[in-house]
Amino acid sequence: MIELSGITKTYAKSAVKAVDDLSVSVRDGEIFGFLGPNGAGKTTTIKALTGVLRPDAGSARIDGIDVAADPIAAKRRIGYVTDNPELFARLKAAEYLNFVGDVYGVSSADRRARTSEYATLFGIKDALGASIGSFSYGMKQKLLVTASLLHDPQNWVLDEPMVGLDPKAAFALKEIMRARAAAGKAVFFSTHVMEVAEKMCDRLAIVNKGRIVFTGTLAELKAMQGADGSLESLFLELVDDSAEESA
Amino acid sequence: MSVFLSLSKLYVKSFYNLPGKKAPGSKATGKEIGKLVGVAALVVLVAGNLGYLFVVMNLNLYQGLAMVGMQGLLLLNAAVMATMLTLVVGFMTSLSTYYLNDMELQLLSMPIRPRALFGAKFVAVYVTEAALSMFFMVATMVVFGIKERPHPLFYAWGTLAGLLLPLPALAASYLIQIPLLTFARFLRNKKTIMIVGGVIGILFGLGLNIYFQRMMPPVADPAARAATFAGPGSAVSAMGRGYPPAMLAWRAMASPASASGLVAALMLLVACAAGPALVVLLLSGAYARSLVGFNEAHIRKLSKDGAEAFIARRLRRRRPFPTMVKREFDMMNREPMYLLNGPFIVVMLPLIMGIMYAVQKDALLADPDMAGVRALIDGGMGAALAGLVGAFMGSSTSIACTAVSRDAKALPFIKSLPIGPGAYLLAKLGHALIFGAVGSVVGVGLISLFLRLGAADALAGLAASLALSSLLNLAGLWLDTANPRLEWDNPIAAMKQNPNAVIMMLGAMGLLGGAGYLAFVWSMSAGEFALWFGLAPAAAFAALLAPFPRFGERRLAAMEG
Ligand SMILES: Nc1ncnc2c1ncn2[C@@H]1O[C@H](COP(=O)(O)OP(=O)(O)OP(=O)(O)O)[C@@H](O)[C@H]1O
Ligand SMILES: [Mg+2]
Repeated sequence: MIELSGITKTYAKSAVKAVDDLSVSVRDGEIFGFLGPNGAGKTTTIKALTGVLRPDAGSARIDGIDVAADPIAAKRRIGYVTDNPELFARLKAAEYLNFVGDVYGVSSADRRARTSEYATLFGIKDALGASIGSFSYGMKQKLLVTASLLHDPQNWVLDEPMVGLDPKAAFALKEIMRARAAAGKAVFFSTHVMEVAEKMCDRLAIVNKGRIVFTGTLAELKAMQGADGSLESLFLELVDDSAEESA
Repeated sequence: MSVFLSLSKLYVKSFYNLPGKKAPGSKATGKEIGKLVGVAALVVLVAGNLGYLFVVMNLNLYQGLAMVGMQGLLLLNAAVMATMLTLVVGFMTSLSTYYLNDMELQLLSMPIRPRALFGAKFVAVYVTEAALSMFFMVATMVVFGIKERPHPLFYAWGTLAGLLLPLPALAASYLIQIPLLTFARFLRNKKTIMIVGGVIGILFGLGLNIYFQRMMPPVADPAARAATFAGPGSAVSAMGRGYPPAMLAWRAMASPASASGLVAALMLLVACAAGPALVVLLLSGAYARSLVGFNEAHIRKLSKDGAEAFIARRLRRRRPFPTMVKREFDMMNREPMYLLNGPFIVVMLPLIMGIMYAVQKDALLADPDMAGVRALIDGGMGAALAGLVGAFMGSSTSIACTAVSRDAKALPFIKSLPIGPGAYLLAKLGHALIFGAVGSVVGVGLISLFLRLGAADALAGLAASLALSSLLNLAGLWLDTANPRLEWDNPIAAMKQNPNAVIMMLGAMGLLGGAGYLAFVWSMSAGEFALWFGLAPAAAFAALLAPFPRFGERRLAAMEG
């Protein structure tokens, strides 16, 4: 369970609020989509909830644990897939998995079983001995996903996870998301593609310029009716700046 | 702007990691201005130190040569030194920047002529070379100018020589490297290049040392010393005579206002421009082609059964802290630029010193004139020297004072992990301290061998060395936590253009020099030295360490990844 309330963040080097009084909660057993255009504040929000950034105001609670008060305990309950898989190029895939496993305190048996499972699913098993620097973008993404699941987290947070994945891998990823939600775990992911959100989410939030412009189920969103009745045009209307300003 | 110019600008910027233009409307804050002033002061300080060193060196040489009326040779020496210095530095720089990063592959996909690409790279490397060479020439010109009052044209030719002499040296470096990297595919790999570059660096260091040893026998007479070093019969003179650009530069500066001086200067211009022109004209295409394949890595694919066995064998639990320390090691040692500039020092310096020792035998201390020195060494200075050299080696790896900067890209991810910022920083400290210990042992060991110290002296030195280097490493880490360099495109910037590394190098020299001075004026025995310079730094270390994790926690939280 992830509860964000009143998160506000202005970067030191910028004048505008990247995230402005944002509140969202993700329940156990649901897939929650976080939808918004580029620069809307999705990554910033995710960084605040994973403890990477300290928000100027507001709080993030993971399974009831305040991230600011007990960051270690909160972080243990999160599996995080960053939007930047270009990290740790100098490590071998297995070394990276061991690093993440050790930091989260995953037993040898668990990490072997999960690595084997997800690496097989994503087809990167044969590359586990290779250096991450030699991986393709999609392979790196798959490795990040595998590593984020090593400790079987209660809350799975993914920042733009579909980017760079081929259809087969995207399908596998969606299957894992569904399976986790079905097992009573929370899944929170960001995307700027309405279609992905539409197919996957139990509930979703649309964010624009750091503010939530919609939260609810897909059915509730559909009830709002876009210009031509499609969700895509509805989404575009919601994040249309000129419309927002005249409103 | 022409493609060549804008490419040159791009390369110079990413080499030296210059900040881009300020966004319009944003004002420089007081803190930024303070930072700028601090960095400027630092640059002045370093340049001043180096300049002072060069000037003193030239002055000594001048005085010696003037006694035998051969002061003109000072200029030939300057030309040869500028050439040699830039040849070696140029070779290493051009090699280590031959393939900068994947940005270059993207450049290859653009409609850029190979000549513009290579020319721009050449210009970027040349900038450092020219600065280095000018530095040396200016030092010589200052000494010679004050002493001899030459014609004003002397300065013009001297400046010209300073700017031109690196050109053939750099052209020669590429003349070797481009064919080499075109034909030897296995060399097209950053790691291999790192090893080759390191070996060349060691060989050069050794060569230079042996050269100085041979050239400077311990004689008291400055004239004789100068004559053996730069006189007509010396290697420098011989080299200068055999190398036309140095000869031409010498002639132009020696008779600046004459027609022959002008002719020499013009010939120098032609001679020095020819090399780069030819290399750019003939080898640009080969250079561009040789860039392809640099980012290829050897991938070992596992078979189906092999993968299962691999997982069972390799995936194994360890405690988090050692894992984090291991990550620090891997991060440092697998990045060629880091390895060369950091831990390599612990290997390279000892090798050079070991060879020096081998060349020198005990000629120096066996000399009866040196009896006083021997007594001093046995009276405690030996232990002090060993301790200070060990501490310097243990703290000159730049591991600690660049630790946070080097990790800039991974910081956001690291901060999402369930590890305390304190533990994360202590892993960095642990990494630095391990190298500090290795450096201490190696440094103290070498000096002990070199000076034939007894076990007690060596141990006293080691105690002080461990304490001093630990303190310096912690101070360095503190500095890089307080003020890391987080924005860079090129990992080199996190290390080489990191003000913290320079501050710590100077700080270490200051602290260790001061310690040595105190040990000397108070004529400390080995035991006293170990007591004072072991306990005081150890106490300071403990006092700094206690509040460090909390400080680090606050600092890391404030960094916006
Ligand atoms: N490190 C930073 N320093 C300053 N401003 C930043 C930083 N990171 C993000 N921003 C700003 O914060 C705002 C929100 O950015 P954020 O990365 O959260 O957007 P996003 O919704 O994830 O976009 P995208 O879909 O492109 O990933 C943007 O205006 C961006 O310019
Ligand atoms: Mg984003």
